[in-house]
Amino acid sequence: MKLLLIEDEQELAKSIQEYLNGNEFVCEWANKFSTALDKISNYDYDCILLDLMLPDGNGLEILTELKKQNKTDGVIIISAKETLDSRIEGFNLGADDYLTKPFHLSELLVRIQALIRRKQFGGSNIVTFNEIEIDLQSKTVKVNHKLVEITKKEIDLLLYLIGNHNRVLSKGAIAEHLSGDMADMLDNHDFVYAHIKNLKKKLKSANAVDYIKTVYGLGYKWQNE
Amino acid sequence: MSKKLLHKTQQIYLIFAIIIFIVIAPIFYIFSRWMYINNIDETLVDYKEDFIEKMLPKLTEENLPVWNNFNTTQQIKQYYPIKRDTMFYTTYFSEIEQELEPYRELETPIKIGENNYIFTTKISLFESEDLIISIAFLFFILITLLLIVLGIITNKISIKIWKPFYENLAQFEAFKIDNPNKLHLKQTNIEEFNRLNLSIEKLIQNNYIIYENQREFVENAAHELQTPIAVFKGKIDILMQRSDITKGQAELLESLNDSIARLNRLNKNLLTLSKIEKNNLNEITSFQIKEIIEKQLEFFKEQAIQKNIHIESHINGVINISANKGFTEILCSNLLLNAIQHNVINGNISIYIANNKFTVSNTGISSAIKSESLFNRFSKASSSEKGNGLGLAIVKKIVDINNWSISYKYENNAHSFTVTF
Repeated sequence: MKLLLIEDEQELAKSIQEYLNGNEFVCEWANKFSTALDKISNYDYDCILLDLMLPDGNGLEILTELKKQNKTDGVIIISAKETLDSRIEGFNLGADDYLTKPFHLSELLVRIQALIRRKQFGGSNIVTFNEIEIDLQSKTVKVNHKLVEITKKEIDLLLYLIGNHNRVLSKGAIAEHLSGDMADMLDNHDFVYAHIKNLKKKLKSANAVDYIKTVYGLGYKWQNE
Repeated sequence: MSKKLLHKTQQIYLIFAIIIFIVIAPIFYIFSRWMYINNIDETLVDYKEDFIEKMLPKLTEENLPVWNNFNTTQQIKQYYPIKRDTMFYTTYFSEIEQELEPYRELETPIKIGENNYIFTTKISLFESEDLIISIAFLFFILITLLLIVLGIITNKISIKIWKPFYENLAQFEAFKIDNPNKLHLKQTNIEEFNRLNLSIEKLIQNNYIIYENQREFVENAAHELQTPIAVFKGKIDILMQRSDITKGQAELLESLNDSIARLNRLNKNLLTLSKIEKNNLNEITSFQIKEIIEKQLEFFKEQAIQKNIHIESHINGVINISANKGFTEILCSNLLLNAIQHNVINGNISIYIANNKFTVSNTGISSAIKSESLFNRFSKASSSEKGNGLGLAIVKKIVDINNWSISYKYENNAHSFTVTF
């Protein structure tokens, strides 16, 4: 999968690239509006990560340019500016998702995966991890082809963990993913533990491998043994 | 004590009217009396000259008693030394009225034949007193009427002249710095009022610029902080993936994570505050408070489990409001968040919606919070708290821009915040 990261902040770009490159992605980087324009004209990307505030132009114009060239690249806006106006404008111009800085890299990764799934399979698809099968359309989970009774939130958590497999995820990052904006106002993330515990229990009773590892002091990790 | 301007002018007017009355009345009486007596004196002199010219040459000493008998107001008396034309007041008993009547009398020495006599002529002042009183009375009525009419006219004029002033005053009183467009000052043709308006408009404009600059500064500072926080967060995410992290390093990372989360919360709150100040009247929609609470309750119930807090909601009736929905959601979630964060293990939270009031009541520390600075920015109940002291400031701001009200009370071991819409 080919990604284009349009971001002027070098350190952030490096972190994003490092986090994403380990996966099935190849992440190119444009730090300027003009470079970004060149790249989108010459190549096709599966997903474009777009910062709106660039030193030499407005990121929204990239969206207009994509439309003009009839490109169907998925676009996730990553911006420090979060107003309803800029959100609506972005979506109207064809952006697929909007992520406000600061965000966890794990969150960015699952958003990219979700976008690519939507683009490629029209939303009706199945995520598989060894013996675990998640049907995104019917919101069901099967382990060894047997249905597991599971809540929506637990499916969400499962997708997030699998999407970030072999990555250590902090409790804060998981909390933010599960509860959105409200979670980062909380200083207590103990509810994450309860969800992880329930998910673990359900997968275990369905005879799945215990992939969820607790990493001391840091959080949790979905580890393929 | 300050009085209303109109009352002040009315009062001054009344005092002056009374003073003018008291001073003018005796002066007028004395003056008109003096004029009248003057007039009478002239008449007496006329009588005398008339007598000397027409009667005196015909009078002899023999027919003197007869003349005296036929004249009542003019008499000729035995001589005694006096000056010419001596005038004086005197009284005579009136047979008709059966009382003493006041007179003005003139005496002058005359010569009949070889002997000196005194000619006297008099005019009754009895009727003149009545006349003066009548005139004075008429004068009083006229003056009173004049004063009343003048009073009413000045009152009317004052009300008319000061009307734009009062209208503008009401606007100044209702003025809020975060909403400067609402001021529409009434122009008048009075220079002083226009000057006042102009200087107040200037003052407001200057204050607004300062306020805007400050708000923009907070907004920009918070925005600029987003990127370094994002970098920090990203680097920690990357660092966490290292396989060689020791226990000690993991603990350090955990506390870094906590700090960055706190910094992020603080920054988000600052952004929210400046956003509320900026867009306070934008994106107004109609909705029910109930919808918001029901949507948020799931999340908060999940949070409450950690402290084994029991949440109960009493939703009676519907509160329909027109406001910015996003801000109202923040208002509700901040109050609920507070109720959880400042609660005790096994505590309770009650949510009430009734009679246009939304109340969140929770168990917590067993004494009332000192309330003067409760809603101020960065005010915290204790320094050990993890909150950043902006939650209630945001709540207050949202309440203020919508002209709602919020109150706090501590009753039956429960801290309650009530928003009245």
